[in-house]
This record gives sequence, structure tokens and C-alpha cells, in this order.
Amino acid sequence: MTGQAEASGASEGSPVAPLITATGVSFQYGSAQPALSGVDLEVASGEIVALLGPNGAGKSTLLQLLLGELVPTAGSVSSWVGSEARVGGVGYAGEETAHFDALTGLQNARFFARASGLPRGDAALAVTGLLKAFGLAAEADKAVSAYSFGMKRKLLLTEALAHAPRLLLLDEPTTGLDAASRDALEEILRDRCRQGAGVVLSSHDLAFLDGLADRIVILHEGAVVGAGRPADLLESLGTATRFEILLEHDLPELPEYFGEGVTLVDEGEPLVFEAARGQAALPDLCAALVSGGASISGVSVREPGLPELFRRLTGQEFSR
Amino acid sequence: MSLLIAEVELRIALARKRLLVLNMLVPLLLVVPVVLGAAPAFHASAVYAVLFMLFGTFGSAIPLVRDAEMGLVGRILQTGIRPGGFLVQRAAAGCTVDAVQLLPALAVATFGSLSLGGFLTTFVIMWASLWIANLLGNIVAGMARSLAETALFAAVTALFMLHFSGVFRTPMPGTFWGIVEAASPFRILHETLLGMSVGASVEGASALIVWAVVLPVLTLVVARPIATSLKAATRQ
Repeated sequence: MTGQAEASGASEGSPVAPLITATGVSFQYGSAQPALSGVDLEVASGEIVALLGPNGAGKSTLLQLLLGELVPTAGSVSSWVGSEARVGGVGYAGEETAHFDALTGLQNARFFARASGLPRGDAALAVTGLLKAFGLAAEADKAVSAYSFGMKRKLLLTEALAHAPRLLLLDEPTTGLDAASRDALEEILRDRCRQGAGVVLSSHDLAFLDGLADRIVILHEGAVVGAGRPADLLESLGTATRFEILLEHDLPELPEYFGEGVTLVDEGEPLVFEAARGQAALPDLCAALVSGGASISGVSVREPGLPELFRRLTGQEFSR
Repeated sequence: MSLLIAEVELRIALARKRLLVLNMLVPLLLVVPVVLGAAPAFHASAVYAVLFMLFGTFGSAIPLVRDAEMGLVGRILQTGIRPGGFLVQRAAAGCTVDAVQLLPALAVATFGSLSLGGFLTTFVIMWASLWIANLLGNIVAGMARSLAETALFAAVTALFMLHFSGVFRTPMPGTFWGIVEAASPFRILHETLLGMSVGASVEGASALIVWAVVLPVLTLVVARPIATSLKAATRQ
């Protein structure tokens, strides 16, 4: 996968026009290193696209470009409504949790729903349902100044979702949410997609993305290093479990047999072995090394999955 | 046209009851000693004019930059609300709240000097002057890079406008500064406050009206760069 890889394809062969398309988008903050380089992304109606990447990979910048808050230094972003009107037609929940602190959660949510174009009555109805879904209904009449961080995050999501936007851009939407709210958000996003909305979200919450994202786009140093359906990406990893074993001292000669079905794939430091999925082969492998004179100082097991995919594509460990 | 921003600003002012009371008491604390101290009319009217207009420029500029730094301005504008409407409605609500908060101070300052009609006229002039001061505050907020700069720019702008309006000295009629004074927005406020004590004629109504109409139009013209500047102020 190259740095210029195209991150589209959920609608491969589908006649559905994309809601938003980024073509060769690059962005640079001042004279700093480019935050994004030549990123292509297409989001179709009914699709959930997850952006993954280490801190500073360009996920939030890409969301800001899709939102229209930033203008690409190269490339272009086009949407179903053109560039100007996009701002109001999108539901965006970013890192900011700024609200009118003196007003209640309900007043804030109604304000943002009405500001996004909902009539007063519809805004009240939409907001009430979402506050209930996120478990915030009982606190809705309290001033936001008394809210915890998690409550502000729930309110932020309510405000992003209330006007039923066609495109949702969510930056780390599960930050600060309890398990029930995460489940509620997942259900709401699925429901919105069934109604034809498109969703782009960045998250480090792989458990949340598992089964939710139709496509995953992995960013590293501003470029797309992997993109596709989760199942396809995982298949590219194979089904083998990797064991990485650190020895205290190099062995003059490695044993020839490491256990049934275990293969040595890298003789470097650490030694890397592959075996059938699971950890059943590990005891025999360690025993073989020890009997060959090795002294083991560390063992790490890498099961195939998104964290491993992330590590292989970015060279960094996945951490929340 | 939706008046959503003005509505929410008024709601916020009513929700912050402690601040509302404090903003009524503090001007009173400044006005009462001037009234009781029998200050010369020229000095007293200058104090009132400075107090009222600084109230307007600071009161609009500083909360606007604070909201921008918190990211609230960016969030509001992301909904599709136009920057011009946002700034003008904010100034409209701001000047109304300022006028209500300054009402007790104005009543004390003019007590015994004006009829009810004269007081109401003075109140309307103060409200219109605060409208201009709030709009000026919004514009200077767009030029500032921090709260400290905002306070500095708001103070300098208000004081220069007051100076041009003849609050600190009276220019000779027919001179350059005399013409500037005639065209300055706060002249009528100062002369009204001065006139209630010494019975001087009041001039400057047309300048106030022109400014009250032109400045919102100018705000609409420069709203986009102001909004860009305010959004850039968001703390990362």
C-alpha cells in the first residue's frame, strides 16, 4: 500500500453517488511538515468509514477538511451540496466541548439544533429523544457548568446528531462515554446509516469500531497506508499468530525444530515465529529454545487483528 | 430572519444573575461618589461617558474573544449561522443588556436634573451609543490575539472615540477637530449628560444615527475575516 493509496471502495461497483469526496488532498499548517499528503477519500450514503492512526497522523485535520473548516493546500473536497453549504449540512462533534455554560443542557442542545436549521418544535423533539438515548435526560435541566466531561461529550453528540445531518463527522466520539452511551451511539449511527446518512469517524476505540465500520482508513504521517473493509484488511494479515521472543544472549546456532507447525520467520532481534492461530504452540517453542541453550528475556504474542494490522502498517503500537 | 443568537445572549444574561447584579452595582459604585462629590459638570459628564462606553466595548469584545478561545464561536459558526448575523445580533443583545445594567447608574447620575421625558431620551441615546460601542468591541475582538490584547484594543478604541467626540476637550468650531467632533458618535451622549447640568445645547444626533446605521453594515462587510480570526483563536 502506498502513501497515496486511495481510501475509497465501500461502494465499489455501486451506483450510489458519494456524499463527499476528497481528491489528492494535502494540508500544511504554516511552514510545518505537511499534516496530510495526497489523501483520497470517498464516503457514500449509508456507509461508516473509520479513520485510524497514531496521534498526529492527520485524522482530525482530514475531518476539518471534510467539514470545510480548513481549505486544502492541494487537491479538493467536493460534497453533495458544494463547498459553501456543507458547513450547515454536516453534523460535527470534534474535540471541543465548548457550550453556553450558564444555560442548561436542554437549552444548549435546542440552540444548536435550531441553529442547524430545525424549527423550534422539531428541535425540541429531536433533542429530547437523543438526550434520553444517551442517559442525559435527568440532567438536561441542569446548567452545563455543573456537567462532567462525559456529560459534555454526550451533549456534544446530541447537538451533532439532532438535525439528522446527511453526513456525520465525529472525532473520537467515544471519548468520555460510558458503556451504555457507547452502545446507544453505535445503535444511533447504524440507524442513521440505514436512513441514508454517511459517517466518518476517527477513533482509538477498536472494540467500538469492530463490526460498526464498513471501511477502515489507516493514516500515518499524513498519508493513507491502508484502506479497505475490515475483513479484507485482516485477511491480508493471514491467520497466523506471531510470537516475538527476545533472548538474553545470541545463540551460536538456533535449534532446527521449534514445535509442531511453528515457523521461524525472522532471525533478527527479537526472533519472530509464526504458528497456527492461538497460543498452544508457545510452550513447546519456549522449551525448544531453552533446550537449545537459549535464555529467554521476553515474549510477546501478536494475534491477527486491527491492533496488529495497525502496527504492521504504521510501525507503531496501537494504544488507546 | 432568525434572531437565535440575540435570544440566546439574552437568556445567558438572565441566567447569570450574580453577574447581572454585579454589573448593576459596579457602575453605581463609580457614579455615586461623583454625584455626591459635587464634581464640576464637565468632569462628571466625562466620567459618565467614559464609564458607559467602556462598558459597551469591553462588554462585547472580551466575552467574544473568551468564547472564541473556548471554541464556542467556531462551533456556532459551524452550524451554518452567518458570521455577520452572529456579530450584529450579539451586539444588539449586548447593548440591550448593557443598557439595563447601566439604568440604575444613569438614574442616579441624572436624578433631579431631568424630566421623565428627558430621562427616557437620555436612556435611548445611551442605548444607541452602547449599540455602537458593542459593534466596535466586536470589530476590535477580531484584531486581537489574546484577552489582554482585546482589553487593550477595546480601551484604546473607546477612549479615542470619546476623545474625538469632545469628551476630554472642546475643539474650536470650524477647525479640523471640530469637524471630527461633529461626526463622532459619542458626542451627543456626552453633551446630553453635560447639558442636564449646565443647560448647554445638545448636538450630534445625526452623527449618532449615521454611525448606528453604517457600523452594522461595516460589521457585515468585515464579518468573515473577523470570524476567521476568532476561530483561529481557539485554544489547541
